[in-house]
Parts: sequence; C-alpha cells; structure tokens
Amino acid sequence: MTITFFRGAVAAVTIGLAGSAALAESHTGFTPENPECIAPANPGGGWDFTCRQVGKSLQDAGLLDQTMQVVNLAGGGGGVAFSEVVTKRPDDDDLIVAASAATATRLAQGAYPGNTMDQVRWLASIGADYGVIAVAADSEVETLPDLLDRIKSDPTAVSIAGGSAVGGWDHLKVLIAASAYGIEDVRSVKYIAFDGGGEAVTQLLAGSVQAFTGDISEAKGFVDSGDIKVIAVLAPERLDGEFAEMPTAREQGVDAIGANWRGFYAPGGMSDAAYEGWVGKISDLYASDAWKTVMENNGLAPLDLQGAAFEQFVADSVAQIQEISKEIGIIQ
Amino acid sequence: MSDRIFGAVGLILAAFYAWATLQIQVSFLSDAVGPKTFPLAIAAILAISSLAILLRPDEGPDWPGIGRLAEIAAATVVMILYAQFLPEVGFVTATALASAYLSWRLGNTILMAIVAGISISVGIYVVFNLVLGLSLARGPFGF
Amino acid sequence: METLASLGDGFAVALTWQNIGLALLGCFLGTVMGALPGLGPSNGVAILIPLAFTMGLGPTPSLILLTSVYYGAMYGGRISSILLNIPGDEPAMMTCLDGHPMAKKGLAGEALSLSGISSFVGAFLATWGLILLAPQLVKFALLFGPAEYFALFVLAFATLGGVSSTNQAKSAFAAMLGLGVGVIGVDTQTGVPRLTFGEVHLYDGIDFLVAIVGLFALSEVFIFLETRHDKSDSVGRVEVGRLTPPWSMIKRCIPSMLRASGLGFVAGVLPGAGASLGSFIAYSMEKRMVDREGTFGTGDPRGVAAPEAGNNAAAGGALVPMLALGVPGSGTTAVLLAVLLALNITPGPLLFTENPDVVWGLIAALFIANFMLLAMNIPMVGMFTRVLMVPPKILMPLVAMVSFVGIYGISGSSFDLMVMVGFGVLGWVLRKLDVPLVPIILGTLLGSTMENNLRRAVTISNGDYLTLVGSPLAIGLWVVAIVGFVLPVFVGRLVRSRMRGARDQDAGITD
Repeated sequence: MTITFFRGAVAAVTIGLAGSAALAESHTGFTPENPECIAPANPGGGWDFTCRQVGKSLQDAGLLDQTMQVVNLAGGGGGVAFSEVVTKRPDDDDLIVAASAATATRLAQGAYPGNTMDQVRWLASIGADYGVIAVAADSEVETLPDLLDRIKSDPTAVSIAGGSAVGGWDHLKVLIAASAYGIEDVRSVKYIAFDGGGEAVTQLLAGSVQAFTGDISEAKGFVDSGDIKVIAVLAPERLDGEFAEMPTAREQGVDAIGANWRGFYAPGGMSDAAYEGWVGKISDLYASDAWKTVMENNGLAPLDLQGAAFEQFVADSVAQIQEISKEIGIIQ
Repeated sequence: MSDRIFGAVGLILAAFYAWATLQIQVSFLSDAVGPKTFPLAIAAILAISSLAILLRPDEGPDWPGIGRLAEIAAATVVMILYAQFLPEVGFVTATALASAYLSWRLGNTILMAIVAGISISVGIYVVFNLVLGLSLARGPFGF
Repeated sequence: METLASLGDGFAVALTWQNIGLALLGCFLGTVMGALPGLGPSNGVAILIPLAFTMGLGPTPSLILLTSVYYGAMYGGRISSILLNIPGDEPAMMTCLDGHPMAKKGLAGEALSLSGISSFVGAFLATWGLILLAPQLVKFALLFGPAEYFALFVLAFATLGGVSSTNQAKSAFAAMLGLGVGVIGVDTQTGVPRLTFGEVHLYDGIDFLVAIVGLFALSEVFIFLETRHDKSDSVGRVEVGRLTPPWSMIKRCIPSMLRASGLGFVAGVLPGAGASLGSFIAYSMEKRMVDREGTFGTGDPRGVAAPEAGNNAAAGGALVPMLALGVPGSGTTAVLLAVLLALNITPGPLLFTENPDVVWGLIAALFIANFMLLAMNIPMVGMFTRVLMVPPKILMPLVAMVSFVGIYGISGSSFDLMVMVGFGVLGWVLRKLDVPLVPIILGTLLGSTMENNLRRAVTISNGDYLTLVGSPLAIGLWVVAIVGFVLPVFVGRLVRSRMRGARDQDAGITD
C-alpha cells in the first residue's frame, strides 16, 4: 500500500504546505460539527496525506474551527471505503473522502463491485500531477513519435515500465498516447508493472526496460541528475518553471493528456448546504498564493475544478478510461 | 495419525487451490507467464509436501481434551464477535468485554477479570488514541 | 577526508538540544512500538508523521525524529520475540527461534542485552556502509534486474529447509501456504483478481502484518488457554538471568554479528528485499556455517546475535536506495520517502550534492540514535524482563487486544480482524502439528514480489525462460541456491548422523 501510493504524497502535501498560509475566512454558513476525512489506505500513503494535510491546512487557515479527524479505511484499492460511504453513511454532512485518478480508474473498470461514480458527490480537485514518458539519457530515442514508431514496427522490442498494475493509470497513459498516434492494437504494447514509480525508473537505469511511464514528480530527481530524459509530458501545454523544457505530447502531434489528479468526494446524500460549504472551503484553500509557488517546485500543475465542473471532469475521465479499458480487454 | 489427517487435508487444500486458480478469468491482455502458472506451481509443491507428510508422518501431538478444545473454540467465537461488533459498540466497550472474557478464562476471578478488562481497554485507548492519535472505532458514546 | 568533514557538518546540524530531544523521544517511542505486536517500523513511522507535522518541524528535525523511530522499532521488535515468542514486527521473527528458547532456559536478560548489542553492531556497521559505499552500492543495486531478483528469492526459499523443523516436508508445506496467501489479490501483471472469490477486501491482498500477528500472537493466546491449568501461575516466577551477557558469550558471537551485518546490509540495499530477508538470510547462513552441534533453535546465543545484527544492518542498508535513488527498499523507507517528498526534498542521484545538510544531518542522527538506543536498551533490559512477571491472565488478554488495535488502528477494517482470528486458529493447529511458522511469513512477505519478478523477466524477454539464467549474477545466485538446497539434504544427513554418534559418546560427560 505505502509503496503504491506514496507518489500521491507530493500532491497532497504540496497543498498542505500552501494551506498554512493565512487565508481570510470567507463564506458559507455551513460548519461541520465533527469534520472527518476518510483516507481509503493505510497511514503514510497518498490518500492519507491528502486527508491529513488538507485537514491541517483548513484548520490553520481558519476555515475549520477544529481538527479534522482522519480515519484510515484501507482495502480493495479504495473500494472498501467507497462502499462504506455508499451503504453506511450516505447522508453524513461532516464526511469527505480522499480520491485520485486511481479512484476514477477503478470505478471505470468496475473494480469496486456494485459501485458507480454517481453514488457519491464529487467535491473538488486540489491539483494534478501530469504524466510523462521518459527514456534513459543515453537512449537513441529522442522524441515520442520516435518511440511509438519503434513500437509500431516491433512491439516486442520495447518494454515500458510503470509503477501501477496492468490496467492502472501509468499503463493507461501509454495506451492513450499509443492510441492517439494510430497504433491499432494497443494490446501489443509491452507494459511491465512494478511496485511504484521509483522501482520502475530504477529498472530503466538498470537497462532492463527501454522506457518509463509515470508522473512528473517521480521522474524529477532523475531528470535533474541527467540520468533520464523526458520525451513527452502528457499536459495540454508546456508547464511553467524548470519543466518548461519538456516537450508536450501534443506539440509532437500526439494528442494525449494524462493527469493524475487528487481531490475529494462526499456521501451521495450530503445536503446541498453542506456540499456547497465543503466546496467553498476547498476552493478557498486552493486559491492561496503560497501554494502556487510550492506547486511549481513540485511539478504539480493547477487543476482548478470545483462542484459541478469537477463532477463533469470525473465523469469524462471515467468514460475515457472505460473506453480504452474495453479496447485492451480489461473489462468486457 | 494426526499427520496423516493433516497430509490428507493438505492434499484437499492443494486440489482446491488448483481448482480456484483455474477459475481465474484471464483477460485478453496477458503476459508471457500468465496469472495461473505460479499458483499452479504452488499447488503442485503443496500437494507433494502433503503427500510426503501423509506417507511419513511424525509422532502425533498431544491434543487437548474436548473441554479445552471447547475453550479455544469459545475464545475464537468471542474474538470473531469482537471483530464484528467493534465498529458498532465502540472501542472501549468492546475491548473491555473481550479482554475481561479472556482474562476470566485464563484463570482470573470474575471480579478481577472485569477490572483487568476495563483497565486494559482504557489503557490501550489512552495510549493509542489520545497519545498516538490513531483513530479507533468510535461507537455510540464517542469512544 | 571530505566524507569525514561532511560528517562533521552533519553532527553540527544534528547536535542541537531540540534534535537530541527528538532523537530521544523517537528512540523511546520506536522501541515501544517495535515491541508491540501489530505495530512495526513502517506503521510506527507512519503514525508519527502527523505528529511531526503538527509540531511544525523542519526537514532535518522531522527526519531525525522519524529515523529514530525507525531504528528504535528495529531494536524493539526483538523484545517480544524473546520474552513472549511473538515477533514485535516482521524482521524480528527470526529472533524468536533462538531468543525465546534462551528466555525459557532462564537467560532472558542475556538474550535481551546480547540482542541489543548485536542490533547496535549491525546498525553501526550499516551506517558506516551507508556513508562510505553509497555510490558503489547504487551501481550494485542496478545489477539486479527482474531475473536476478527472482533468483535471489529462490535462494531464500532454497535455504529454508535448514532454518526450522526437522521435517522438511512441513517446511515446504508452510512455505507454499505462505506463497499461496501472497498470491491472493489483484494480479499486477494482468489486472485480474485472483483467489479473491469476489471479496473486495481481498483485492489488495492479505497484509502480512495480519498474518504475522494472527499466527504468532493469537495462537500464543490459544496455547495459554489450552494449557492454563498445567502451568497456572508458574510462568510468573520465571528466571530472567543476568542483565548483561558474560564477555565470553559476546566474544563467541562477534564473528556471527559481523557476517550477519554484512549479509543484512546487502539485503537491505536491494530494493524489495528488505530487513526481513536480511535477518532471514543472516540466520540461515549462520546456521549453515557454524551450527555443528545442532544447537540452533534451542537457544544458541549466535542464533540471537545473527538475525538481530542482520535486520538492523538491513535497516541501514535500506536507506541507501532511498536516499540515492529515491527507491524505497522496504515498507518503512517508502513511508520515509513520502516524508522527504512532503518536505519538498527530492531524493535521487542529486540529493547528496543538493541537500548535503539534510543527508549528513540524517546520517549523524543515525549515529546518535544508535548510541542512544544502546544506552537505553541495556539498562532497560531489567524493566523489559518484568513483562515475564506479569501473570498470563493479564498479559495474554493485553497481547491479544494490542494485536487487534495494531491492525484495526491502521486499516480500520473488521474484515482484517476476522482474517487475523483465522490465522490465529491456523497458527495454533500448525504449532500442534509441529509445522514451522516462519516459512509462512516469508512466503506471504515475498510471494507476490517473487512471482512478479519472474513474470517481468519472462515478459521482457518475450517468453524466453532462459533469461532467468541470462547474467553471471543470476547464474551465481542460482548456484548458491542449488548448493544451499542440495548440500544439506545429502551431506547433512551424513554429517548429522556422524555428529549424533559423537555426541552420544560425549553425552555422559557433558550432561
């Protein structure tokens, strides 16, 4: 658990640090009596950090009067917590639950048996970590089309390592790119699943595999040291700061975007007042200036979606994942 | 004798394991080894070692009498009930009851067992919840 | 020289009153958490992260607190292994094998202090290894691709036979049971659930902590329930022995400690192998090498020194890939890594040049924590052994409840508790049948990693199984594995029977 989810810590904590900057208390009459955040994983994982840091920041900023209790409810890649919220606490106004792109992926693939995304209310995002595709620094491959051409001509010659399971987010990112480039049978793309992005990058350095798919935060240290080169960022446009040098997939003619977002959902029967209240609190937190600086340092991109817009975004990404998962046969 | 039964149970377990492995739904997307190879190998070695145990048994252990077995079964039931009702009745209540029971069955007088149960429960609650900040089951009274 | 200067700077960073206080706090909390079944180093560190953030600590103080907890937990795990035969955390399971028999013989005090010293030696050497060898070790770790990892795990299982139980079939059975449990969950290489029977709680697999606490701690409770009238309160008057081991005992164990430190350190450096493999390999190799009289498993001090030195050395070794590559070598370093990232420090090849104050401050803190732990642990032996004075009718319910809390507090899952009770009953039955429990844990811990590496290797080579022996390193590991497996089966039988003959002759004199 911890290994799989640690990358999320970056995103979550980023927000946490930012939130500690003083924020003026703004709006809404709703105040939760016993604010509680469920982290659907063990302590130390990404979802855990999302809860703890957002909770602390909300309190520091005066948006919450009291400490948000963090409850760890691990199991089923978040499925246990999801079904607990749906079945046992459907109208709890004080409860929010940490979620990420992994949650959407599992919902799309039916990996939470019997649960769908419209059983809960999606609150807001708190940032995103864009996907990258990288190769070793001494690789002959220079561009994304170059890599995809090699896969096209001989799929068995290129192994791509990633930190998620097959059908997981790191895998899907490559497939989205391959599919956008016109590779007909995306199933032929050889993806090797490792336990976390760090292990996958190490195997790229060790020469066991030819390419790496993961998040910017995982690749950053090795790009700085000159061990690997990023051949594509799966973002709509180039990122700011030190990441500006990385080419996007789009500018190389491959229309692929992959963002590992982090955010929250709430019980499906939460009252509108409470829903608006939580959305307001999280967007206030999001809007702080200090946070933007920290985001830049960590390669975290803005993803400013709240309320209905966020709900739509999750729905779209679930639909996209469903489509590609059907194509590769993860789901029927 | 015990080992012969044990070996036989092991063989059944191996067969069940192999059967359950064969039920795995493989999607079109499979790696070269496949999700079934490794579990099937495990089932095979499990079967071989069970057979070896069955054919060359050690001396049997001293099994406890029926009363002791009932004792262990009862403790198991209490633990299962504890696991089931912990989220509903809250940590302190459930833990006090379960540890009082165990303490009583391990030879304490009923009164002392109750005292032990309550102190264990409150002690753990203070250390784990109040000091270390772990979230334990809250229950209807908030603890 | 440059290294020493950097280390000096590190001490300058670490030696403030605040940091020393934090190290002391961390060592104490870590030792306690390590000793409690169900709470190991990774949970211990994870639990204290919020504390570090709440206290508003900067990067270096936070790391000092958390690594002290980490080292402390590695020390603490041995306490319950020795006193109660319940490993406080997974790497300490090997310490049960000889530590508890020592305690039963009335040598609890010696076992505890000897293991404290071994822990110190292991951790101390590993910290030097971290300082002097980190860059070279990174290159070494990069030699390990999936095929080499698979061979390494095969090696671990091949040497299992020697570790425990006289009946090899039962060892093999136990190992397969563990591997079988390790397979449960969503298969990472194809994304399909395996052996979950549609139960969503099983999709993430069964946490080895649940297995270890059930098998060891709960089954111990059952054993007490079974035998209570036979022993009643006699356990309360158990002999605890001296609080410090005689010098001759330490001297006899020094070679074991050194060898175990080396092996443990190497195992720790390899990501995915970790401290449990370190203590396991240290114990089984040591047994192969020095156990000529067959005393391992019956309370041989070397059987206590080796795994403790091994697992603490591995804990230090695991910091190498974490700091130098940003790759966690174990569950605990994964959590520490998350903390580093949270503090806006990116571990990786440039960490040593970009954040020297953090790295060297951390290393200095490791030294400080290690000395502190030694200083704390030896005098506290007397206090620990008091645990044996607590009558089982109080102690056992407490052990059971702490086990439940350890699991529930982390996962919040009733389902896990049910599985744990299941393992408890299983553990009791298996103990009655003389089936060793250590291979089960080893299988559960390493099973999925072992399988995944096999499948990665074969997938990368497009289905060619020869890739498994495709490098000199892999071939070397296979050779050691085969020799380790075959040798005792054939040669061992011969030697053992000869030994037995010899011992029978001596028996009249020594006994």
